[in-house]
Amino acid sequence: MAAADALLTGLPVSTLRGATPLLFVLLGECLTQRAGRINLGVEGQMLVGAAAGYGVTALSGSPALGLAAGAAAGALLSTVFAVLTVAVDADPFASGLAVWMLGFGVSAFAGTALVGLRIDGWMPWAGGITPTIALALALVPVCGFGLLHTRTGLRWRAVGESPEHARAAGVTPWHYIVAGVLVGGVLSGLGGAALSVDYTRTWAEGMTAGRGLVAVGLVIVARWNPWLALPAALLFGLAEALSLRLQAADSAVSAHLLHTLPYLASLGVFAITCARLRRRPGGGAPAALGALLAR
Amino acid sequence: MTTVAALAATPLRAAFVRAAAAIGVFAALASLFFVSIGQPPATMFVEIARAAAGSGYAVGESLVRATPIMLCALATLVPARLGLVSVGADGQLYAGAIVGTGALLAWPLAPGPVLLSAVLVGGAIGGALWALGPALLRAFVPVHETISTLMLNWVAAMLVTWLVHGAWRNPASQGWPASIEFPDTARLPVLGDSRVHAGLALALVLAVVLHAVLTRTRSGLVLDVLRDNPRLQAVTGCAVAPRIVATMLVGGAFAGLAGIVETSVVQGRLQSDLANGAGLAGFLVAWLAGNRVPQTVALALLVGAVLAAGDGLQIATAVPSSATLVVQGLMFVALLAVGGASARWRGVGHGRG
Amino acid sequence: MAPVELRLNGLCKRFRDVVAVHDASLVIRGGEVLALLGENGAGKSTLMRLAYGMVRPDAGHIEIDARRVRFDAPRDAVAAGIGMVFQQFSLIDTLSVRENLALAWPRAPWWLGRDARRPGALDAHLARLVPGVDPRARTGDLAVGVRQQIEIAKVLLREARCVILDEPTAVLTPAEAGALHARVRALARDGFAVVLITHKTADVRACADRVAVMRAGRVVGEAPAADAADARIVEWMVGVAPAPAAARPARAADTPVRLSVRGLCAGPVRDVALDVHAGEIVAVAGVSGSGQVALAEALTGLRPLDAGQVTLDGQALRAPGRPARPVAALAAIPADPRRTAIAPSRSLAVNLALKRLAVQPWRVRRAALEEQARAPIARFDVRPPDPRRPAGTLSGGNLQKLVIARELQGDPTAVVACYPTMGLDVVATAQVRDAMLTLAANGCAVLWFGEDLDDLLAHAHRIVVMFDGRLVADLDAHTATPQQVGVWMSGHAIAPDPLRQAA
Ligand SMILES: Nc1ncnc2c1ncn2[C@@H]1O[C@H](COP(=O)(O)OP(=O)(O)OP(=O)(O)O)[C@@H](O)[C@H]1O
Ligand SMILES: [Mg+2]
Repeated sequence: MAAADALLTGLPVSTLRGATPLLFVLLGECLTQRAGRINLGVEGQMLVGAAAGYGVTALSGSPALGLAAGAAAGALLSTVFAVLTVAVDADPFASGLAVWMLGFGVSAFAGTALVGLRIDGWMPWAGGITPTIALALALVPVCGFGLLHTRTGLRWRAVGESPEHARAAGVTPWHYIVAGVLVGGVLSGLGGAALSVDYTRTWAEGMTAGRGLVAVGLVIVARWNPWLALPAALLFGLAEALSLRLQAADSAVSAHLLHTLPYLASLGVFAITCARLRRRPGGGAPAALGALLAR
Repeated sequence: MTTVAALAATPLRAAFVRAAAAIGVFAALASLFFVSIGQPPATMFVEIARAAAGSGYAVGESLVRATPIMLCALATLVPARLGLVSVGADGQLYAGAIVGTGALLAWPLAPGPVLLSAVLVGGAIGGALWALGPALLRAFVPVHETISTLMLNWVAAMLVTWLVHGAWRNPASQGWPASIEFPDTARLPVLGDSRVHAGLALALVLAVVLHAVLTRTRSGLVLDVLRDNPRLQAVTGCAVAPRIVATMLVGGAFAGLAGIVETSVVQGRLQSDLANGAGLAGFLVAWLAGNRVPQTVALALLVGAVLAAGDGLQIATAVPSSATLVVQGLMFVALLAVGGASARWRGVGHGRG
Repeated sequence: MAPVELRLNGLCKRFRDVVAVHDASLVIRGGEVLALLGENGAGKSTLMRLAYGMVRPDAGHIEIDARRVRFDAPRDAVAAGIGMVFQQFSLIDTLSVRENLALAWPRAPWWLGRDARRPGALDAHLARLVPGVDPRARTGDLAVGVRQQIEIAKVLLREARCVILDEPTAVLTPAEAGALHARVRALARDGFAVVLITHKTADVRACADRVAVMRAGRVVGEAPAADAADARIVEWMVGVAPAPAAARPARAADTPVRLSVRGLCAGPVRDVALDVHAGEIVAVAGVSGSGQVALAEALTGLRPLDAGQVTLDGQALRAPGRPARPVAALAAIPADPRRTAIAPSRSLAVNLALKRLAVQPWRVRRAALEEQARAPIARFDVRPPDPRRPAGTLSGGNLQKLVIARELQGDPTAVVACYPTMGLDVVATAQVRDAMLTLAANGCAVLWFGEDLDDLLAHAHRIVVMFDGRLVADLDAHTATPQQVGVWMSGHAIAPDPLRQAA
């Protein structure tokens, strides 16, 4: 009974805390994919965001500045992806992996200077909510309404469905694609900074541990809908919170195995979503992207 | 005769122009990076060249680094010939290392040749098994293989960590979590007193066989046709689903071999982080080489040289090893940029719409 | 509205090694319908895409009302009052009808609301131009004819003064085409300039004021529609006088059943039963979206059967759960072969061998494949006749001939052809049609899904009509009239009295 209590008290907040970095990335990648690009480089963008955010917070003492720096770093790295896939039309998967590799390298290189620095981060408000969590939650309606209810959002989606048809309708597709990639860069950088500045409050090489790539998969689980990004991120957060609590509770299962739980859970819902999408052709996938995924 | 003439005239020259452009872009990006970290670019390039190919030892190190990348690139290439984007070489590499090591732990005293083949075959089987899940999911659900293979990479890496911290931990290796050492009987032979091992020869032989199968046989032609248009399964009577599974399994076996070769010969024991980014680099190599075997082999050797140079550089100039990762990333960016630009310039890859 | 005058002066456009448009000049005037004709690949679509800013000219310029203009993107052409309905449409299938309109509307407000609900003007516009359509419907779910009306509504929403329609009637039934002709005439009466690209002389007769003909990228002739005889137009198009159409082969009585369909259900197709005899041409007609394509797909193996079975000469051909295998005795010519029957980046030689791919020796010799390809390429006059060329680079007509050449290699006993002449020019159409007539004359059973009712009635022996996934009529093509077939196609359950019809 007591063990169950230890497992469950405060679980909602832990879930939310674990979900927050992912929620940023998920929203960003959702907007990127809606403009017709899959960016596997989000993993690298998160890493540079985490490193920049941690470094600036440690130097300035201001977590807000840290978040801003993380966003800027993510955006900067995402320009590489934008140039590769828009200006020279390189393969998006390969470009994403190259950006990931570059981001890993840059963050590891810059991160050697961060080892040993300490930061304080934000004091949580009542109930364990931090400004980072509030910001992530506030971004959900911003993205949701922006994408589904505004003229810009309509053009954005149209470009993701078919750049050629959008062009025929008088839209300039590359503006929206670049915007999609850059917004993805800003949000994944923010997500990385949220991870290092607010969630773990440490820096470690490769600390995102695949969260960015999980986000790429969860975008599909969320059916490319910013509103559904929230439950998708919470699912990951829940799996992570449970695995941490089980470890703390000295469960019989090794901590290393428990670490795989969030990935397996994400993969599970991803597979289920794909199976259900099969019955609805397209299933809400931006068509330009569907062609890419169906290759 | 016409083909020879045509080859000599434009495509070869175009290839040279492309290579020159890629080197130019890479040099510019890398110089920018070196300047920004306060190192003189000219010296760095000389050091890199020396560390990559300046001596017999350097060449050997480059080849050792290139081997797992080459195998992982082939692991990506096989499914890609059917149009699949498998990014699971890292996970398959770990799985191969696990099963291969398991074979050693199961029969540590088996006679040499038996043990060696059990370890190698175990590695291949492990990699193939790790690819089986995404393959079945793609063939019969369908779940996009890109994302499922990527997620499974982390799971496989953590399984290795779990094993070397727990059940398979060598009590003799005090603090360091790793399995027992591979005995000489379970290792591929090495060349002289270098670290170059027979795994490289194995990879090259497999590459030649694979190239012949993909370009000269009916199976290769069927893959080409179905990649071009999967709906042709009705016209040809060749079903796509079994071929998805087959190519993914073969690819997984290649990556699994990379894992067990790296574990047994190079590192000598199973330990965490053994992939060292080989899967990712292999994916980029295969993709940049247009998923063609000869180009893939050549590019893998080049990337291996750059990585080995990074290791050498760390010793020679006290630049941290993570700088190599940046340089490697910049190299891929340069190659992608030049490849994409030339494709766009020639007008291919840009359909009518 | 002041009538517009659009002048295209000496436009040139090349795509790598293809010269699509070469020094083409054309005047388009308000209040007039201009029919633009020409062979496949003559450059009609490209010329109009130049006028719409979709592609930029290599040379030449465009004038509107005697002022030189430059279009960098369709946006500029739209601002100048030009609108275009594309051959393959440019609606975004996954968006709703209303969203598609809002997307193209320059005066759309920044806040649209869910599903672009807020600007009520869109619904009003839609109700006026496409009455009866649900503005919330997903565009991709609508019938082709409706989608086309939405395209036109979209163009008019943008206050275009010059409307370009690229092969609009290729996808329409006779009744729908009639409605389109009326709309085009009405537009011209209101002062719009209309350009109608077409392969059909019926369109010219029904609504054109002026005819312009393109060949090899140039405008080679222009005349008032009333003066341009059909034969003259064809001569302009291809440079030679047209050969007379081949006659329908006489059919011997009591030939055996070759292709037999029983209780077939597949997707939208419900309970179809049909027999095709040796030497018989059976035409399948229906409004688009009535299940013809699905039926053809089921017969050609592209779609699994839910129930029923198909036999060919008594041998089982298709059944539920049975994987599709190529059968030499069945020539399958599916709709849209570029997507369903061709490996576009493989050579002609490989594409011609696709049906025999699974039984090739395990070691493939490309030279042998290329050698085997020469005969079928020559027989069907596929151009250019280079077996190494990637199939995707062929024009529509040549691609169609390539598929037919492949399918006819094994001396088939039955043919299932779905829209085999769709989008083809007169010469290519005649070649494809003659190939099918010859087959029937040699004892083949031919099942022909077609879109041109006159053509079907002139060449088939029997015509069956599909409506809502079922076969609703089986008529003798020698005596049936287009009106009679049209009534069945529109789904009126009560057949009109044939005697009254004849009277
Ligand atoms: N984007 C493109 N890239 C390469 N070639 C093209 C492109 N667009 C058109 N072409 C080529 O230009 C020529 C003219 O094509 P176009 O589509 O204008 O012909 P068309 O007269 O409209 O023919 P159809 O009656 O078949 O529609 C063809 O040979 C075609 O293959
Ligand atoms: Mg055309």
